[in-house]
Amino acid sequence: MIGTTLAPNPLTLKQWQRFKSIRRGYWSAIALGVALLLSAGAELLVNSRALVVSYQGEWHFPTYGDFIPGRTFGLDYDYETNYRDLKRTFSTRGAGDWVLMPPVPYDAFENDLKAGVYPPYAPSVASRHFLGTDTTGRDIVARLVYGFRLAFAFAAILLACNFAIGIAIGCAMGFWGGAFDLLFQRVIEILNNVPFLYVIMIVASVIVPGFWTLMAVMVFFGWTGMTWYMRTSTYKEKSREYVLAVRALGASSKRQIASHIIPNTISVIVTFIPFSIASGITALTAIDYLGFGLPPPTPSWGELLSQGTRHLWSPWIGGSVVVAMVLVLLMVTYVGEAVREAFDPKQFTYYE
Amino acid sequence: MQTASSGYKATLVAGLVALAACQGEVEEEAPAEAAAVATELPPIEVAEGDGLPALLPAGLVWETNDTDPTFASPEAKRGGTFRTSILSFPLTIRRVGPDSNGSFAGPLRYNQLSPVTFHPNTRRPIPSLATHWAYGPDGRSLYYRLNPKARWSDGVPVTADDFVFAVKFMRSKEIVAPWYSNYYTERIRDAKRYDDHTIGIQGADPKPLPEMHYEYAFGPVPRHFHEPRLTTDWVQATNWEIEPNTGPYQISEIDKGKAIEMSRKADWWANDERYARHRFNPDKIRYRVIRDINVAYQHFVKGELDTFGLVLPLYWHEKAKGAEYDAGYIAKYWFYNDLPVPSAGMYLNTENPILADARVRFGLAHAMNFDRVIETVLRGDYDRLPTFQLGFGDYDNRSIRAREFDIDKANAYFDDAGFAERGGDGIRVRDGQRLSLRVTYGAPHHTERLVILREEARKAGVELKLQLLDGSSAFKTMQEKKHEIAWMSWSSQGLSPRYWEHFHSANAGKPQTNNLANHANPEMDDLIMSFRASSDLEERIALAHRLEQMVHDAGVVIPTFQVPYTREGAWRWVKLPEWLGTRTTGALFNPHRLSAGIFSSGGLFWIDEAEKERTLKAMDEGAALEPITAMNTDYRAE
Repeated sequence: MIGTTLAPNPLTLKQWQRFKSIRRGYWSAIALGVALLLSAGAELLVNSRALVVSYQGEWHFPTYGDFIPGRTFGLDYDYETNYRDLKRTFSTRGAGDWVLMPPVPYDAFENDLKAGVYPPYAPSVASRHFLGTDTTGRDIVARLVYGFRLAFAFAAILLACNFAIGIAIGCAMGFWGGAFDLLFQRVIEILNNVPFLYVIMIVASVIVPGFWTLMAVMVFFGWTGMTWYMRTSTYKEKSREYVLAVRALGASSKRQIASHIIPNTISVIVTFIPFSIASGITALTAIDYLGFGLPPPTPSWGELLSQGTRHLWSPWIGGSVVVAMVLVLLMVTYVGEAVREAFDPKQFTYYE
Repeated sequence: MQTASSGYKATLVAGLVALAACQGEVEEEAPAEAAAVATELPPIEVAEGDGLPALLPAGLVWETNDTDPTFASPEAKRGGTFRTSILSFPLTIRRVGPDSNGSFAGPLRYNQLSPVTFHPNTRRPIPSLATHWAYGPDGRSLYYRLNPKARWSDGVPVTADDFVFAVKFMRSKEIVAPWYSNYYTERIRDAKRYDDHTIGIQGADPKPLPEMHYEYAFGPVPRHFHEPRLTTDWVQATNWEIEPNTGPYQISEIDKGKAIEMSRKADWWANDERYARHRFNPDKIRYRVIRDINVAYQHFVKGELDTFGLVLPLYWHEKAKGAEYDAGYIAKYWFYNDLPVPSAGMYLNTENPILADARVRFGLAHAMNFDRVIETVLRGDYDRLPTFQLGFGDYDNRSIRAREFDIDKANAYFDDAGFAERGGDGIRVRDGQRLSLRVTYGAPHHTERLVILREEARKAGVELKLQLLDGSSAFKTMQEKKHEIAWMSWSSQGLSPRYWEHFHSANAGKPQTNNLANHANPEMDDLIMSFRASSDLEERIALAHRLEQMVHDAGVVIPTFQVPYTREGAWRWVKLPEWLGTRTTGALFNPHRLSAGIFSSGGLFWIDEAEKERTLKAMDEGAALEPITAMNTDYRAE
């Protein structure tokens, strides 16, 4: 993550070494990276579609791409094949056809309901609901995995938007100062005083907030965070001699900012990334929990959490999501700590 | 559930009746008490074309009902205290005016009787404050003979003046009740006193006969109490004043913020009336404020409340278990009733180009797997609602069955409508347009029902997009007709179904009407108008059957679920008649009168003190008694 954003100069290498030396941050980064990679390919691991179907000597790979109707495999319906049933059918028929299912053979939407027993179902290895199901019989592993992917993507895009706007405006404020600086200081103060959660609630009561509408609202209020840091850093850097020097050489404002000031404030930016990701995930989970987030049936940790609190006697619902959430936030925070320390020029300062 | 929701109009009905002002010929024998206030009331102002005749019309046919079977148990014992709870303390004990529509309005208003009420089994009018009634020749007026025994709780006789005064009172600005003022002006056009115990009431439009009681009759207002107080200060002055009433219970103690106690009148005037005998048995009813329903349940299990509603599957199946139930200290009752059923459905907006095609609507209905929802998340507790409106006795068209979940039929309809191809995600497509529809709803706990429907519907190649809005925004969206499919429920009460507001073309295609399907069909319009105009019961029933069939044939509503029962828990000493309740019992342990706003079904239970002692002793000793779980399906529709 870190290495790619920086040119490999000696300083960067030194920071990387330092990061690696902070074990729990380093291993957290690796674990998170693996989790992200796996969740990116979640369709291959947690899915109701089979990985491979061999039917009458022909191989099908249903995971990605269009749905395959049941008729393709000799079943009597036109809708999407139920591969778990197909597997059972093939194995009883024993005609050499076979189905290879992912380790968790459920997706995040289907309701795996049984006659006479009411969901939520407790965890069971036999039914392959490793963490049980929620109140409508949807697999919790699937909800967690796809919810994680969505939350992380949300947090990452949110971060990119917030940083792009925040850094641009913060730099401009610090670089130009004067009336522009004053104006935006007031704008930011006003925005900071609008109760963001209420705005979300109002928006959610009028429209169904989608991924991008939520994003828009959160970016609208979220970009201000970075501006203060970028503004002060820019103020500081722009009066340094190397900036005065390039200005004396005739560099344009754009060049001064883009090529000299920002690269020298990079440690500020990088340090904030993990913490912003963590706050993005929590924010999305919180508004989902309150019911103002992504519309049902989107897989979401907040929605699982709210089910968990309403069904305390089915502890696998709340328990799974709480553990998953604590783990992810803890790892992100460890990474953040390590990054901060690696970028800190003062070798021997300790942070509490 | 249904009963509780009937509040607003129910109240009105409970409070019904009018009376006419006496003009010249009035007062030969005004009662002494009323005379103390004022002997004469000015006539009620009426709009042009309105007004009751000065003299009682000749040829009125006076009817009564003293032949329908009684429905209370002769074994009932008077006495004891019935302990129940309310979620919040009322802001006032006024029956009208600001803040009066809170949770305590029911107990107050149910003890303000109306001239007639309806038999909870036969659904026919029965006497209440009036003994006889007659219908005027104009088709919109009613005449009542009041029971001379009727008394206010302070002993003052109930007279025709109290009805005339009621109109004046409800129209007055001092009570700050615009809804009532409007109702008593627009809907109640005149009320007249003919003698002390004879009144006439005139409504705005002709209505079929028995229903006129429901539409236009209203209860008296104690003139001797309110007239002196009716100043600009009325709202403030009467906040905590106990208003005289005519029902069996009156408030006897107010412990502000904590509890309210009502006591049975020892010599209630109607004690020996045919339909009131053996009813309203507890001497006291204590309403304790418990602000959280789960906490209230804990109080119930500890024996501090006598009964508790267990309708919700969560309570009935999960919480109502344990030692108290196994040892028979607490009884569980499951009682099927036959009340007007809320019209819960998916209302398909026919202004949407996809839904304008009837074949799509039929296909959609066949793609909805309600049975699966019932069998799973609803735990088999709910029933499928077969028709748009149900629970109106003979008006119900029981020959209709809701379209069942059948993918083959759904596929055939969709293919026929041109949605023959499926896209890569399995959703049908017609000329590049996906068969994807938005379902607008406002109840978060319905999500679990909708996600199952959604997954099942995919099999037929239709996508449901769930739009969960805040309750009032959802309703606003539907009222503005911005929905594609509205998932909602109309509360329903009265004696006969209603079609005009939901299906007449006058309400189609414009905002703020209840025609959520925007359905318009000239043939249906004619039938609806005949239905509204007809006062012949047979004809109305026949028309209602045809209309319900047309609603079904149009496929603009997909009826969803019904909960045709009540489930309650009660400590062993709270006794019910052998038959538990009546056809229209909404709540078994309702100490008062009405269900669905009109049926006199309450007050059948009693407290058995001897049984209470026995039970408490058994609990002390840890001895088990025979468990009681009773179910009554007498009124369950087939």
